[in-house]
Amino acid sequence: MSIRKLVTGITAFDHISAGGLPYGRTTLISGSSGCGKTLFGAQFLAMGIQLFGQAGVFVTFEEQVEDIRINLRTLNWDIDAWERDGKWVFVDASQKDDDTLTVGDYDLSGFQVRLERAITKCQAKRVVLDSIGSVFSQFQELNSIRHELFKVTLALGRLDTTSIITTERTEEYGKVSRLGVEEFLTDNVIILRNVLSEEKRRRTIEILKFRGSSHEKGENLFTIHPEQAIVIIPLSAMDLKYRSSGVRVTSGVAKLDEMCGGGFYRDSIILVSGSIGAGKTLLVANFIDGIREKDERCLLLAFEESREQLFRNATGWGQDFTKLEDDGYLKVVCLYPEVASLEDHLLNIQEIVREFKPDRIAIDSLSALSRTSTDKAFREFIIALTSFLKHQEITGMFTVTTTLLSGGTSDTEGNISPLTDTIILLRYVEMSGEMHRSLSVLKMRGSKHDSSIRGFTIDDKGINIGEPFTGVSGILTGIPARG
Amino acid sequence: MSKYALQLYINGKNNVSVEAVDILNTICREKLNGEYYLEIIDIQEHPDRAEEEGIMAIPTLIRKWPLPVTRLIGALTVRSRVLAGLGLSSLEPVA
Repeated sequence: MSIRKLVTGITAFDHISAGGLPYGRTTLISGSSGCGKTLFGAQFLAMGIQLFGQAGVFVTFEEQVEDIRINLRTLNWDIDAWERDGKWVFVDASQKDDDTLTVGDYDLSGFQVRLERAITKCQAKRVVLDSIGSVFSQFQELNSIRHELFKVTLALGRLDTTSIITTERTEEYGKVSRLGVEEFLTDNVIILRNVLSEEKRRRTIEILKFRGSSHEKGENLFTIHPEQAIVIIPLSAMDLKYRSSGVRVTSGVAKLDEMCGGGFYRDSIILVSGSIGAGKTLLVANFIDGIREKDERCLLLAFEESREQLFRNATGWGQDFTKLEDDGYLKVVCLYPEVASLEDHLLNIQEIVREFKPDRIAIDSLSALSRTSTDKAFREFIIALTSFLKHQEITGMFTVTTTLLSGGTSDTEGNISPLTDTIILLRYVEMSGEMHRSLSVLKMRGSKHDSSIRGFTIDDKGINIGEPFTGVSGILTGIPARG
Repeated sequence: MSKYALQLYINGKNNVSVEAVDILNTICREKLNGEYYLEIIDIQEHPDRAEEEGIMAIPTLIRKWPLPVTRLIGALTVRSRVLAGLGLSSLEPVA
């Protein structure tokens, strides 16, 4: 049996936590400096107000209230209005600059009374204490403070609030918290990490334990978005339960449709692999042209070529991208892969997709994107992206560039081919002292397909797929031999 | 103005609070010859006052005057330190 949860409203957190934070309990969030724990806490309160009308109390032991207000305003959270309306109440428990002397035993009932007053005043459902480590530096007696804080967590439960306590840790992998006492306050622990890996920042969130409740295990990537704050990319939680569509859509090339057994499936991902100049972008252009059959819309994300280049090439193949775009059927977005991390690219793509609502999406090329990250992160990105596209029933065509002109595969390809439904190989073949272009459908999930390797030519009308090579073997290795 | 201005924050009638009130009254009587304002604030009755002053620990004694403002937290049981904190050490008769 699982305990009751409070839906937080933080994107994807409710997913990885199987429903949110344990209701009426305290959860410890631990992380090194700059990992986003204060933001997580603030977002927990902000989402409560924005989405559920639940008031919140923010206790700061460290940062000045005014500094926090300034930070929150940059996220377009109307903190001033929330405070005015009694939806958000600050309790300033930061250290006073007066001289302080300890002269005998004390308890923290002063703090407790203030906290309870704040909670009752605004009928808070959510409370954040940020960050508890500072209490231990303000007050020295470790054991009695621990006991006092334990009383505070009891009070938070008694007042029917769901709360977050943040704490500092000094290393990304090691003790949960700096002093090692904080985690005894609660059964629920979340770790935020901010790791530098191959010159890239990688932020992750891990639910270490939720006593008596299920949750995703392991680290999940997240990014800090300038408007949505913390957005978690729940890779481990991705389910593969999307509907499989039997509907076919055209590739834009009649002959290729034929080779695929009647076109691509609507919610499938097609990988086009080939070396530079092998005709990948041409296939993409045809794929875009295919929208005309059913008045669909296509989004083209170009990470390699500029707009002008793309449009000029398309004209060369007899296609008018400008008109398609003017008529609202096409949207072309050109980006440098290096301008953002993969997580940010993913969010950006999702945002564009939600706005433009395309039926098809083409990415030219994935290889350019893979340059900016580690293999693991790239694979996670592709999982998240394909899953997202499949849920929206969008047909996707991704291109990857092989390093060798003939034969060969690319790293990118090896990494992601299991995640795609259809693979089309474009290869140069040297035969009798001439370079020929070849095309083959390597894989077509859930359908029969033509397994022959065909030659093709490119002219001012686009692509012409010819007959299968006969009597030749070894084309894909780049060293064909007459058999 | 030379009068002492003191505020003592206590929590209801708990032992430590009651003791602190007694100790402070004794010190004031012995050391300050009526030249002081002492305000005793029970945070159960006046939580707003605790909020305004940012009170965390109980008991907390604040010396508002003379400056600098000084906070003493704890049960005031260590007399010598209380006197030092209030700046009254020099007035202690040599034993």
